[in-house]
Amino acid sequence: MLRYTGNRLQQSVVLLFLASVVCFTLVVSSPGNVAVLIAELRGMIGSPGYVEQIEQEIGLNKPLLIRYADWLGNVIQGDFGISYRTGHDVNADIMNRITVTGMLVAGGAVVATVASLVLGFIGAFWPGGITDRAVRGFALVGASTPTFFVGALVIFMFAVILNLVPAVGFNGLKSWILPWITVAVLPAAVLSRVVRVGLEEAMASPYVLTAKSKGLSRFRIMFRDALPNITPIYINALGTQIGLMTAAAIIVEPLFAWQGMGDYFLNGVRFRDFMVVQACLLLFLTFFIVVNLVVDLTVMATDPRIRRQRSGA
Amino acid sequence: MRPLVSLVTWLKGLPRITVVTVSLFLFFGIFGPWIAPMDPSAQDLSLMGQGPSATHWLGTDHLGRDTLSRLMVAANTSLTSVGMVLAIAMTIGITMGTIAGYCRGWVEDLLMRLVDVGLSIPSLIISLAVIGIVGPGYWSMVFALALAWWPMSARISRAVAVSIMNKPHIEALRVLGASPLRIYFNHLLPGTIGSVMVYATADAGMAAIAVATLSFLGLGIQPPTPEWGQMLVDALPYLESDPRQVILPGLALTAAVIGFNTLGETIALNRVPKRLSRRQLLTRRMEVAGWHKETSDAA
Repeated sequence: MLRYTGNRLQQSVVLLFLASVVCFTLVVSSPGNVAVLIAELRGMIGSPGYVEQIEQEIGLNKPLLIRYADWLGNVIQGDFGISYRTGHDVNADIMNRITVTGMLVAGGAVVATVASLVLGFIGAFWPGGITDRAVRGFALVGASTPTFFVGALVIFMFAVILNLVPAVGFNGLKSWILPWITVAVLPAAVLSRVVRVGLEEAMASPYVLTAKSKGLSRFRIMFRDALPNITPIYINALGTQIGLMTAAAIIVEPLFAWQGMGDYFLNGVRFRDFMVVQACLLLFLTFFIVVNLVVDLTVMATDPRIRRQRSGA
Repeated sequence: MRPLVSLVTWLKGLPRITVVTVSLFLFFGIFGPWIAPMDPSAQDLSLMGQGPSATHWLGTDHLGRDTLSRLMVAANTSLTSVGMVLAIAMTIGITMGTIAGYCRGWVEDLLMRLVDVGLSIPSLIISLAVIGIVGPGYWSMVFALALAWWPMSARISRAVAVSIMNKPHIEALRVLGASPLRIYFNHLLPGTIGSVMVYATADAGMAAIAVATLSFLGLGIQPPTPEWGQMLVDALPYLESDPRQVILPGLALTAAVIGFNTLGETIALNRVPKRLSRRQLLTRRMEVAGWHKETSDAA
């Protein structure tokens, strides 16, 4: 157990290092002279010597390795530099925005988990019944509907027709509801399939037969015996879905006129603000690496079979 | 005659919803620009925001353009971009996958580690990062999506390539003294391409969503070329007064994706050509339950 955790941590550190190299190279290898671009963005392209001045300013004339080391040192200290476009401090911007995205993804994850467990369980409890068919239909449609269309539909239904919640903007708990539903639909659909199929498979195993012969009720067997057995698969799938929800924030935040990390990244991409793109990309990749690590460790903690197999090897 | 008969039997094995939606998408995707009743970008501001009528079957948008024609032409836009993305992604993926399957050893480890990393990052983030570097535009969209998509086909083609390399006829060829290039190009590559293409078609739905998402964000297909995601974002400010213009393109895209997703599931569950046993089917369903990514790493 301890050895596996150590190995896995080591792996994550290597991945983090690779992620930093990728983020750095992406920006360095971008076509065109960055200094000229900054001069253009600041509207100073005409003035002589300004491009050289910027080159000095951001250290473009130093060797690559030194630039990488400088950059990494700053990043580790939490300094992502200054946005080329607005001149703002990137960390300050990120600090303002990260809670919005964090809440969005966390809330979406809760909604998706609850919905998928309930739906998948209902579907598996009466296989072939009308609820099962409804759940399967939801899984198919939910996984096939693009997130931006889900967003447009929920805004239309809840804000325009029913007029229950504010469509866009940010005031109070009510304005969280629609974005949470929007990010949660796709993960809920995929995860409910995982639960539904996982339970069906678990219910076909011998220990269920034993429990049945002991006279336990179907609900009890499913809830107490089958459900815990699908946790490893479920947590794995949930980890993937949390990653996808973070990506979905890029779509959902502009849709609801929110200012979070997704919106920040998108604007960085739109205006080719490399420092912003680099910082957001690095944060996203770090988040995925951490989520993957947590998922792997949790799966191992919950599944003694994997624990034995991996630490034994 | 023979191929036609086998095609019909193959189609009969598919769910009806798949056949209907996918063939509609392909039909409008190929013939859309020719059968569209009107010019999709002809504006007529006196007709803006109209409901369905005899001339405009699905009404007009906020610039007075015919919605039906725009939807049809958008199918064509979507089909060509998805086709191009998948073609480039599969070329990269099959090359990488077959090389990994042929060489094994450290080459395989290296390539597959790369594939794992690629698969663990959502494709939207990869493609946005690429667009952020090279700048927006049609070709950078295709290139960015292909870069996000190749790991999937690489993984499948490696699996297929490994199984081909383990077959006895490859060993026989080696004994006969066939050169590595002959084994690779005459036996490994043709065998891999076929099966990978079948699986990759099933990805077309997700690729269509990705194209529409980038266009929705304004970084993919640019106006005036009609595209579903971009039609939707265009009509979004008029959601209250004219929701039809938002819902129709969304529905068209969703229908196409449902078709490809069910197709992919059917292929993965191997209902066609032969049925699996109940136990096998359950395991297989477990594997495909998460459409977006495999969950099993059983080695």
